[in-house]
Amino acid sequence: MSHENIISIEHVSKRFPVGDGEFTALSDITIYFRRGEFAGVVGPSGSGKTTLLNIIGSLDTPTEGTAVVMGRNISNLSHKESARLRNMHLGFIFQVYNLLPVYTVFENVEFALILQHKSAAERKKAVMEALEWVGMAGMARKKPSKISGGEGQRVAIARAMVKRPDLVLADEPTANLDAKNAHAIIQTMKNLNRELHTTFLFSTHDEKVMSYLDRMVHLEDGKVAKDEFIKTKTTKP
Amino acid sequence: MIKFLVKAILRDKNRSLLPIIVISIGVFLTISLSGYLRGVMGDMIDQTARFETGHLKVMTRAYAGNKDQMPNDLALLGVNELTQSLRKEFPNYQWVERIRFGGLIDAPDAEGESKGQGPSAGLAIELFSDNSGEVERLNIPHSIVSGRIPQKAKEALIGDEFARKLKLDIGDEITYLGTTMNGSMTMESFTISGTVRFGMAAMDKGAVIIDISDARNMLDMENGAGEILGFSDEGVYFDETAKQTEQAFNAYYANSNDTFAPVMFRLREQNNMANYLDYVDSFASMFVVIFVIIMSVVLWNTGLIGGLRRYQEFGIRLALGESKGHIYRTLLTEAVLVGILGSLAGTSLGLAAVLYLQVHGIDISGMMSGTTMMMPSVLRAKFTTDLLYIGFIPGVAAMVAGNMLSGIGIYKRETATLFKELEV
Repeated sequence: MSHENIISIEHVSKRFPVGDGEFTALSDITIYFRRGEFAGVVGPSGSGKTTLLNIIGSLDTPTEGTAVVMGRNISNLSHKESARLRNMHLGFIFQVYNLLPVYTVFENVEFALILQHKSAAERKKAVMEALEWVGMAGMARKKPSKISGGEGQRVAIARAMVKRPDLVLADEPTANLDAKNAHAIIQTMKNLNRELHTTFLFSTHDEKVMSYLDRMVHLEDGKVAKDEFIKTKTTKP
Repeated sequence: MIKFLVKAILRDKNRSLLPIIVISIGVFLTISLSGYLRGVMGDMIDQTARFETGHLKVMTRAYAGNKDQMPNDLALLGVNELTQSLRKEFPNYQWVERIRFGGLIDAPDAEGESKGQGPSAGLAIELFSDNSGEVERLNIPHSIVSGRIPQKAKEALIGDEFARKLKLDIGDEITYLGTTMNGSMTMESFTISGTVRFGMAAMDKGAVIIDISDARNMLDMENGAGEILGFSDEGVYFDETAKQTEQAFNAYYANSNDTFAPVMFRLREQNNMANYLDYVDSFASMFVVIFVIIMSVVLWNTGLIGGLRRYQEFGIRLALGESKGHIYRTLLTEAVLVGILGSLAGTSLGLAAVLYLQVHGIDISGMMSGTTMMMPSVLRAKFTTDLLYIGFIPGVAAMVAGNMLSGIGIYKRETATLFKELEV
């Protein structure tokens, strides 16, 4: 596992205009994440977790400071370059699994590869492999409306992983799942982290997720309150 | 990517069905109404040309000033020479002589007593000439209700409605009472060879059609005619060509002060046709412009509703690495595909309606019993090749324009805001 920094956040602040004033979501944050980490940004609602993930995911830019992801300064990227960074290097997993309802499980996972202009044969191989990772190969032809929430989140993980991203950003991925499914999902991601050396960065306040993390960055009022490295756990006790 | 979009269009009825229905209805209305109105207007122009104005018409200046009164005392004389000259100078037109005459038609019974009388609108044409084309031009063979076309002198065709009103049958005699070119009274008997129905109330109510030689004898118009009409060889009125011919002819008599000098008019200058022709020309384009504006507004709103519904999808696609520009372009591609489907459906339905109305038409004879307008009593649509695209292109354009407008919303929203739509 490489120890290079995949994310470098240096003196980043983010302020949003609110009425005549401003709301500070992040305040002078400096933090680094290494390739292959299974880390989480934790904290209560409004602590700035999602804002930080949006900046790392090149969906937003810092008001001040520098955010470098995969060697690219987020502030300097054009819309097209941001999209390319997300397309080639980042995967997203959401609180709600957000599959496109008109497409099948297979097609939902395939979509990311179409954007990469992969051939049909390459896509089929990669999609089936990704679905096998998450145990959903048997449901490839089903529509999202025909699968359960836990299965949907597995498909979402396959969709994020199919393009073999360097970094997966997961925003409250277990919020809508029961305990059994939540543990299964996190375990799946942990396995992928180990096998593919993909960096996972969570935004969460779910104890179940936290129990799997190797590192937790605690945010409070937009500031890093604690940066906690934990002994690696590979399975839930 | 296109295959992927098509799948979504076919599977998501909200994305495709409503816009396709809206476009289909718009394109259908545009094509069917354009075809119908063009057919009606074209028929009216064509009928007017065939029965009254020609594509070009030569009269004396004095006759032209009073032509509504059919003033045969002001008619052209020496028409054989004039017609020959026209045929020589302007060979692209077929030149025919006609005489219009008004008067009274008396229907005698077996004892010779009058059983009925009525005012007539007489028309004398070159019935017996093989080269004039007048019989075909006035569609007489297809307009005959009973009997036949006159084959010898002193035979007449009479309007079917007129015949029924006077209780006349084939072979009955009628007597024309009127005045000659010189103002003296004339009476002439004709045998009815057939009855006709042109489908024009103005003609059918009092039509009497005889050969021009009979009219000349009856009206003392030796080598005379009220009008010489010119019809283009193509059978279609071309204003620019007609104008050149008219100017060339009238230049020849420009310096003459003779009120009986011949003067040429083109169709556009007769019967207040100028505005009508301009209206016909601009009608189709006006229709298309109105259609595009209305459809764009409707589809803009449809697109906005669809776009709002799809913000979640846009957020997912952004997260997967699609750029805003690419999403916008795929929206427009979808719009083109949906526009094509809707326009194809609308065009097919519209053409079917036009072809149906071209064959069957709408019979308005019941509404025209009192009218004197030169218009057909069965209004038919007309298929023209431009109907293949007159609705199709605007249909696609309106869909694209509507989506372009609604899709701007994607650019107006911050990426993070679109992404936030995912946090349900």
